[in-house]
Amino acid sequence: MILRLNTDIAAGFVGLAFAALLWLARGDMGRLSIIFPRAILLILTVIAVALIIKGLVRPGDRQVEITGSPRRLFVVAAGFFVWWVAIGQLGFVVSSVVALLLLVWYLARVEGPVSPWRLLRWVPIVLLLVGVFYLTFTQLLNVRLPSGLLI
Amino acid sequence: MEMLLEALASLMTFQSFITVLVGVSAGLLIGSLPGLTATMALAVLLPFTFSMPPLQGLMALGAVYMGSIYGGAFTAILINTPGTPSSIATTFDGYPMARQGRAFEALAGATIASVIGGLVGVAFLLLLAPPLARWAVAFGPAEMFWVAMLGLTLVASLSSGSLLKGLLGGCIGMLLSTVGVSPVGGETRFTFGFPPLQGGIELIVALIGLFVIPELLTMAAEGRGALRPSGEFGKREASIGQVAKRIFRRPGNLIRSCLIGQVIAIIPGAGGNVTSLVAYNEARRFSKDPQSFGKGNIDGVVASESSNNVMVAGSMIPLLTLGIPGAPPDAIILGVLMLHGLRPGIDLFTETGVLTNGFILSMGLAALMLLPVGLLGARLIYRVVIKIPYYFMVPCIAMVTIIGTFALRNSLLDVGIMLILGALGYFLRLIGIHAAPIVLGLILGGIAEQGYVQTMLAAVVDPIPWLRLVRNPLSQVLAGMVLLGAATALLPVWLERSGRLQKATSAEEEKP
Amino acid sequence: MKCRLSTLAVAVSACTLLGAVGAVQADYPERAITYIIPFNPGGESDVTARFQEPILEELLGVSVNVTHRPGGGGAVAWSEFQNNAEPDGYEIIGVNIPHIIGQPIQRSDAGFETDNWEIITFFHSTPNALIVPANSPFETLDDLVEYARENPQAVTLGGSGTYSANHLDMLRFEQEADIDLTYIPFTGTGPLPAALEGNHVAGVFNYTMLGVQMDDRVRVLAVASEERVSALPDAPTFSELGYDIVGGAYRGVAAPAGTPPEIVETLAEAFAEANRRITEQQEPLGFVMEYITGEQIDEVISSLSEAYGPILEAAD
Repeated sequence: MILRLNTDIAAGFVGLAFAALLWLARGDMGRLSIIFPRAILLILTVIAVALIIKGLVRPGDRQVEITGSPRRLFVVAAGFFVWWVAIGQLGFVVSSVVALLLLVWYLARVEGPVSPWRLLRWVPIVLLLVGVFYLTFTQLLNVRLPSGLLI
Repeated sequence: MEMLLEALASLMTFQSFITVLVGVSAGLLIGSLPGLTATMALAVLLPFTFSMPPLQGLMALGAVYMGSIYGGAFTAILINTPGTPSSIATTFDGYPMARQGRAFEALAGATIASVIGGLVGVAFLLLLAPPLARWAVAFGPAEMFWVAMLGLTLVASLSSGSLLKGLLGGCIGMLLSTVGVSPVGGETRFTFGFPPLQGGIELIVALIGLFVIPELLTMAAEGRGALRPSGEFGKREASIGQVAKRIFRRPGNLIRSCLIGQVIAIIPGAGGNVTSLVAYNEARRFSKDPQSFGKGNIDGVVASESSNNVMVAGSMIPLLTLGIPGAPPDAIILGVLMLHGLRPGIDLFTETGVLTNGFILSMGLAALMLLPVGLLGARLIYRVVIKIPYYFMVPCIAMVTIIGTFALRNSLLDVGIMLILGALGYFLRLIGIHAAPIVLGLILGGIAEQGYVQTMLAAVVDPIPWLRLVRNPLSQVLAGMVLLGAATALLPVWLERSGRLQKATSAEEEKP
Repeated sequence: MKCRLSTLAVAVSACTLLGAVGAVQADYPERAITYIIPFNPGGESDVTARFQEPILEELLGVSVNVTHRPGGGGAVAWSEFQNNAEPDGYEIIGVNIPHIIGQPIQRSDAGFETDNWEIITFFHSTPNALIVPANSPFETLDDLVEYARENPQAVTLGGSGTYSANHLDMLRFEQEADIDLTYIPFTGTGPLPAALEGNHVAGVFNYTMLGVQMDDRVRVLAVASEERVSALPDAPTFSELGYDIVGGAYRGVAAPAGTPPEIVETLAEAFAEANRRITEQQEPLGFVMEYITGEQIDEVISSLSEAYGPILEAAD
């Protein structure tokens, strides 16, 4: 998918938006704490404005290309966030087993429909993977993985 | 000399070999998992060394350190994820090589470079520790400010494409580094009233997010894996011998990178991530073919990996002589030395010389062991990664990054920050703001801020405070280098642009 | 085998030691205990915890898992702990004075309170010390005070962190001596040896350990403890020199608010025993072993809150 977008102007606005976000959240900081971020915020603003001007006068790339399927991109990105939330609610093991199975199923469909039998064969692999990671981290590396309602 | 021989003898036992072998393997494994740093590898394995005699304990830790710094290269090359921050620069060329089906060549190059780097670091430590240690204490706040500025001139070479966008990325990175508690002043900044944000944005969290997630999203969108087996390109896999011949035929890159690694390793607070970035930049600057960097030039991998492995033993110089940790993992080694009643200083090289030299030599042994262990591991991991279908690859890498990010600080919030930065990173990359300058800003922002504010504080009685920044000869030299670096970095961009402009206009004229 | 026997012997003595408490709360502990360190691996808190870990495991008979939750100078872990931890004794956290006193006063969103938990014990302290490089013109504390009186703000003293134990006691010293110094905060203790060695600062206000570690490359002008520290027999205390400053960092552990007192007591005894066994390793490094439990904890906190509170509130 190819979108028409003046990337210089877009980058400039991203910079300005970020600068504005931090500037509004600065609160009342002491001199020693604000001195550095203020200087960088100023430089960032100057660069962002310069980029916007450059984008108007002599633009660089005027299109961006998302290779492949944008829908798959958004679904997988959203899937990662749902996975993250689920880890906090349900615990690492359960949510990861479910998330892995769903993602593998979703991504494998690119190559054609996935039969339920094939999906079933993946279950032990996924269980093994999650199990190995869970045990390595909790038992060997002493990391307490999140456990919500379940494990 | 006698001590050295005695130390060597104490090393030539079966037990020491096994200790180092196990240490290197464990370090390699932990280091290759993104999120688990060398510091963490040492901390996790520390309790196991309590029951060992001092020399064996130190040997084990030295080997773990060496292994984990090297292990970071594996994931850097194979999945564009620096396993430890010192491997950031390895991704720049290692991953493109892997995408071209030259993953094994890149891994072999990284291994050879790491072995050489490790040995060079040990040699420096053994022969030149006391004179080089004096260099470490020369870096005060003002000097550190200039070191950070020098690092920032790298933005020019890291921002593929537009310099302005690179600078924008660098500024965003530096601002991200200010989230949390301010280093001087102790106030909370940009936490949006949300207490957990006091912890700030950890470098590794941003690193994993910005490097891995966009890559995973791209793979998912394209519906295929990023790596190709070498067969698809009609090329034979390069053998170790060929790779070694290529590296050693023109040793300039290797020598330069090792020297850079050693010089930076001694500067306290700079660490391996800065080292490898600087070495990469210089490799590119001195290369006859700078355009090929970032597109799969093995010299980039060699520069990054040799310099960061020099740092392992190299950063022990200020540690053993003065008790100054040159890099974060060294703090743990310092703790172990103190627990065994070994006080850093010249006594360490005289009174307890056998122990100290044994420790140093064991790091050399560890470096040598990277060769068999690393090549075996590399072949294994490479085979596995190539065979896994992409629809398994994407979720599995996602799980590794999630679990690794969590493990770093036991923080689920960090996982969220990682994912958010990753998703944003994908779109920033689309509009030409790449991850490398952002990460560079994040690394150097803290160093620059602390150096600057500390200098200003110390200069409170001076009539013109900022003159303090260039008061010492060393800071003057560094400031000069910053100007020079900026000039040489900008010049090619300028020339290229005017050149490209001409080309563009002539191309347009040719069109009807 | 020898090792086996001694562990057995220790286990037996531990049983007798804990016998009295065990009778009250027979079923605690029955599963692994998580010991959270709110700082990075490799620091003093971490290294101490690593030492305590095997001894605690022996005494309590369950595994003790040390995990790290660094961020915000401890505040991230503390706020999470106060909000989420279950008061069942299976989750404990390292706590440090003055961090837990200073941060809630100084920050609007620290996310935790100084006393919203059951502090089990403070097991050691590290007194502050005023240290100058060996080549410094200041031979004694008087030299430094005299010079600072004539040249206000010209003497720069480094230290670890802002409004930390180092900073707060330096401010107290300024008040007591009626001088004006410039404090330069560094991140942690790590960079301080270089700052001293390279003469980037005139001196540092740090802990006694630094003086021990750097040995004859530095001179310890004064230590902020009640009595002289055994590892630094030649360094005078501030009170000997006429300044009423006793302070430093205290390290301890806390359980969530509402934890049953028997459990707190069991843990306190285990930590005290661990302390006795690691004294030999820790004292030579400059640590001062403490056995502060029960009501003494409130006394320590309130006396230090009184000392630091006005300084912090004035600075806010």
